[in-house]
Amino acid sequence: MAYLQARNLGRDFPGVTALDKVDIDIELGRVHILAGENGAGKSTLVKLLTGAYAPSRGSLTIDGRDPTADPDLFRTIAYVPQELSLFPHMSVAENLFLPYNRTGHGGALFHRRAIEAEAQDYLHRFGIRAKPTDLVRNISVPDQQLLQIARASTNKEMKVLFLDEPTSSLTPTEVERVFKVINGFRDANHAIVFISHKMDEVLEIGDDYTVLRNGEKVAAGRIADTDVSGLIQAMSGEMLRLDATFRPDIEADRSSDPILRVEGLTGRQFKDASFSLWRGEILGFAGLVGSGRSELMQTVFGFLKAKSGSVRFCGETLRLGDPAASVKAGMIYLSEERKHHGIFAKMSVRDNIGMAIHDQTAGFAISARKEKAAVSDIIAAYGIKTSSMSKEIAYLSGGNQQKAIIGRAMARRPKLIIFDEPTKGIDVRTKAEIYRIMKTLAEEGIGIILISSEMTELRKCSTRIIAMHSGSINGEFVTEATDNETLVGAIFGAKGQKNAA
Amino acid sequence: MLRRLFSTLATNPLAGVFIILVAIFGISSLLSPYFLSGYNLSVVARALAFVGLVTIGQASLMIIGELDLSLGVIGGLCGVVAGMLMVTYGLPPIVALPAALALGSALGFFNGFLVSALGLHSLVLTIGTAGVIGGANLVLTRGIAITGIPKEIQFLGRGDIFGMPVPFAVMLVALLVVGFLAAKTPFGRYMYAIGNNSAAAKMLGIKVNRIRVLVFTMAGFLSALAGILMVARLGTAQPSIGETWVLAPIAAAVIGGVATTGGIGTPLGAIFGAGIIGILENIIVLFGVSPYWQGIVSGAIVVLAISFDAISRRYLRRETV
Repeated sequence: MAYLQARNLGRDFPGVTALDKVDIDIELGRVHILAGENGAGKSTLVKLLTGAYAPSRGSLTIDGRDPTADPDLFRTIAYVPQELSLFPHMSVAENLFLPYNRTGHGGALFHRRAIEAEAQDYLHRFGIRAKPTDLVRNISVPDQQLLQIARASTNKEMKVLFLDEPTSSLTPTEVERVFKVINGFRDANHAIVFISHKMDEVLEIGDDYTVLRNGEKVAAGRIADTDVSGLIQAMSGEMLRLDATFRPDIEADRSSDPILRVEGLTGRQFKDASFSLWRGEILGFAGLVGSGRSELMQTVFGFLKAKSGSVRFCGETLRLGDPAASVKAGMIYLSEERKHHGIFAKMSVRDNIGMAIHDQTAGFAISARKEKAAVSDIIAAYGIKTSSMSKEIAYLSGGNQQKAIIGRAMARRPKLIIFDEPTKGIDVRTKAEIYRIMKTLAEEGIGIILISSEMTELRKCSTRIIAMHSGSINGEFVTEATDNETLVGAIFGAKGQKNAA
Repeated sequence: MLRRLFSTLATNPLAGVFIILVAIFGISSLLSPYFLSGYNLSVVARALAFVGLVTIGQASLMIIGELDLSLGVIGGLCGVVAGMLMVTYGLPPIVALPAALALGSALGFFNGFLVSALGLHSLVLTIGTAGVIGGANLVLTRGIAITGIPKEIQFLGRGDIFGMPVPFAVMLVALLVVGFLAAKTPFGRYMYAIGNNSAAAKMLGIKVNRIRVLVFTMAGFLSALAGILMVARLGTAQPSIGETWVLAPIAAAVIGGVATTGGIGTPLGAIFGAGIIGILENIIVLFGVSPYWQGIVSGAIVVLAISFDAISRRYLRRETV
């Protein structure tokens, strides 16, 4: 019998059934993949299995026993959420052993030296480069991600570990570190439940899988017996062509002035960047996390201050450091950090979208009629799934939030959109929708810049790719004429490549 | 019909505080025969007017995620300056009052400018500026009230218009204007956007600094207005005007559903909150509670009101999510 087992599990919320008739078997010593589109019910299932929600129907057993009778059984189940939930102003060691009473550090006094010494072992085992005394706010994102996993494992009773998209902001080398850790847990006879939208990772690390769609289990089995297209078909309920490319089908127009010309731009974390973007192309930016891609684009947009250099946009010199002026001129930056830089979480979908279209809906006062009409047009045009436009946007799935942000941006008729990791945490089908939107926009003559950590995404969408390495532009490539190895070499700092026209 | 009324009440965030306000009003009129007398009601309304004006400004600041602890002393200083301009320098009220309003706006502008330009925390900054402005008041007056305020402006504080006290009518007009701005104009939507997530607002091309400075300026203006009306009401310019206008408006705004973290609430809700506090203070006096005990009683009731609101909110949330 599986260690963690659910039969006919269901959960209702007022007005909706979030999950119904789900069976799942999580076995020790194996990695179980939980797959499904955004909104398929993965989070609800995870919350039921980790004891955060009580089920409306069905049964759950842990180690053959019923956790409703003995809630302490849930202590053997650890959960690492997708969002970083560390304490940034405390040290690595202090974070690692929270809560102290579960990790053998719960005495009346707090022994800093003791936990720092013990932390060293964990850091070594998990390949974390930070020191035990470093403050978490100063360590790298991959280290933070690994630290979260390490923290879950300091719980000595742990048997099952849930990892919710642990690799979403990691580069391939860092993903390897996470996989090494997962393999270590598997060898130690722990069960791992792994949630990810990246199909190649799923196939590499998984043993078993369960696919959810619309709150129900639609497929389950051994990873060895399936493949990418099988999983995707189960998730989306239809055949999606994955090998399709989404590059604009028109020639970039190099005869006229470029939409954007950046010259010698230097700012915090990057230096002396020069590039141009012509009408009709999607310009990709590749690089490791921390290579300065986002900082460069945020500086072009004016959100961050520039030290030197110039930006010409649509033939005019852009005032640097003034995002309001950039937006007015027709430039839009869609941030990787949806929560911090994109949405107004506590405001409704209508307010979130309506915020950007007041020039169309308001004279002195906002016309509620016009705003409702304009917002429902955008909701329809971009296929945003929401029960009502007055719903708080925080309750929408990540993919739908992203579509709302794109729809909002488009309503302002921009001349250039900078997409920073637009598909982070977004399912395959919505990804394809976003690619298609970018392609259409580029063909309509809107400049598109795409920053991404996924090389396949960049190759699928971009006409040209610029590689960045530790703050400098390190090569510029025409996608079709370049192999993957060259690109990966460039983002790791290999010298002397340039094959741009 | 009734069901629709209930469902509106359940979903409207103002419903809770409005029900408390009506309930307290009802209970007060049952408890004391004097409560509903015309004289007493006008006393309550007049008192509410002054705190109310400051509350509208403070609530607007809280909506954009800021707080100004110098609003009280701005009201005091502007009242005193208006008094001095009229009495010491013999300027006509038509010059002196706008000058005092301009001073209040300028002080608010200055607070907003420093917060924006230096990226300071408004709470800490305004503790400092409150000290400076309150000190200026003492330097100017040496703690002595200015008497001999021209009789012709006293109707601003003591008179009635449309059957209500003039200051109350002024407060209602201010509430109408600011409430409309917040709810119906792009400017107001941007206020909420900034309070919700100022980085996202900046990314969207909203002129965050400009809006922040404008709201600080508006709050300073409203405090100056309250200070001037108070001088008109007292007939003297007391240096102590505004001493009670610091914490009560914040409590009123919170009771009225304005989040201390920004982005949530309305000026109308904050005025409901001020109304609740005003009625409570009145009923304590009507009951002849010893002045020594009044602080404990009114403080305890504020805690109760906020707790009730928090609990009902949690209950509603569980029902809807």
